[in-house]
Amino acid sequence: MSETEKNIDNVKVMVIACARSVNLEGELSGLHGRNLSGVDNAYVVQVPCSGMIQPRMIESAFNSGADGVIAMGCQIGDCHFREGNKFCRERLLGVRPPMIKKTVPKNRLKGLWMSEVQVNDFKNRVENFKKEVVEELKLEVKKA
Amino acid sequence: MISVVLTKIVREGQKVLLRIEDILNKILGSEQNVLYYHGAIPNFFMWMLFLSGLLLFAYYTCTLEAAYQSVEYITQKIPFGDMIRGIHRYAADAMMLAVWLHALRVYLTDRYREYRIIAWYSGVALTVMMLIIGISGYILVWDERSYIIVKMMSEFLGALPFVGETLSHAFINDNVISNYTMSMSFFLHAGISLSLLVMLWIHYMRISRPLVNVTWAIGCLLAGIVLVVSALFPATSGPEANFTVEPTYFDIDWFYLWIFPVMKAVGYPLTWLIVLPALVVVTILPSLIKSKDHEAANVNANKCVGCKLCSVDCPYEAIYMAPRNDGSKFKEIAIVIDERCAECGLCVGACNFDAIELPFNLSPVVMDDIRMALEEGAEPVAA
Repeated sequence: MSETEKNIDNVKVMVIACARSVNLEGELSGLHGRNLSGVDNAYVVQVPCSGMIQPRMIESAFNSGADGVIAMGCQIGDCHFREGNKFCRERLLGVRPPMIKKTVPKNRLKGLWMSEVQVNDFKNRVENFKKEVVEELKLEVKKA
Repeated sequence: MISVVLTKIVREGQKVLLRIEDILNKILGSEQNVLYYHGAIPNFFMWMLFLSGLLLFAYYTCTLEAAYQSVEYITQKIPFGDMIRGIHRYAADAMMLAVWLHALRVYLTDRYREYRIIAWYSGVALTVMMLIIGISGYILVWDERSYIIVKMMSEFLGALPFVGETLSHAFINDNVISNYTMSMSFFLHAGISLSLLVMLWIHYMRISRPLVNVTWAIGCLLAGIVLVVSALFPATSGPEANFTVEPTYFDIDWFYLWIFPVMKAVGYPLTWLIVLPALVVVTILPSLIKSKDHEAANVNANKCVGCKLCSVDCPYEAIYMAPRNDGSKFKEIAIVIDERCAECGLCVGACNFDAIELPFNLSPVVMDDIRMALEEGAEPVAA
């Protein structure tokens, strides 16, 4: 992943998002309707609730070439299915089974909890996350 | 057509709520966001009412001759009696208001139909029960207002065809207001109050972990508001009921007694013609929006290891574990109760063995989507 020099222009981010959180209808454009409009190299795949996000999905995103992964659900406290986003957050924090594998780079994995009225804020955060991922990748190269 | 309009209302309402929610989250934090306790808040007021009601009951006398005096005694002689009475009065209003806000929120966030239908029906029942409790509570004071309520209520019930005559005797026996009126009112007030608990049990059915308690901070805030209002606007009785004088006016508690001005304005039969259809519409509201095709989660018996994680995570008690005797080395298997399933996928997220899947959202398809987006999306594509 980090063999070639990664920078803000080619770092890839996968957002696995609850379909009810940031409303991405009309926000998606391009290939297969999965590119996040306005943010380069950011892709979105939707699930009915962030509680459905399996650790394996996150692993699969990293294995398929994502440099950073965002799991996104509604604001904590407000889940259409009561507890999905809390469960998802607990899995990201490693306190709820099934656990995320240790090989997954936790520092390049992020949980975002936002509602559909926060689309612009969401895009800024994805942009910022890309910067964080670039920094993190530099650190990892140094360590190696 | 109705379905389309209602769906639109719900969509727009949801956005308004989300904006309020966002602001409250920034001010209060999600832990103390009152919006997230919209169901627990009426519950909190209910316990305030049980407690203050019990204290009032200690000095209340349930007879025609003594009821009014005993309420006056509580208000004037018992230490903090006026406060307890005020709390009982205003917590009741607060509870009704909180219930309406709760109903509005679950309606606007589309959380009242399909797999939540039991909660909606029982919620309507709970609200009607609260109205009866409130109206009968105002009879117990036995001031002029109580007298008008008894008279109008009996005539109102009497206006119903077939059963009306019998029902009106619930309050007035042989056209005479007697102690029987009082004991009946007390029975309705206290008896239905206690049966709220039974109806609440039904209300919470199918919810794995209902949120029934507010936080300490919110509890203190709500109790504080009720206390301040009770101190600023003491609850008082009107003049004692007097059968020789026909009272013409009384203060209306709009949360519980709104039906009396309606009766006065349009007459009894028309009030029934407004109230009953309204109740029917509210009850069938969930059926007015067309449901999507329902395809419950299903379990792959070959992959299920009986780890229970999905049944623990299911928010609607739709998954239970059953012993298996199909020769598998595992002792239990997860079973999905189709009509309870919300198709939320929480069970899928809890399963590490790909043993449970949503037919409309298969996890292998999600994984493929992720792979394809990343691999094929490598080249930036113009929109």
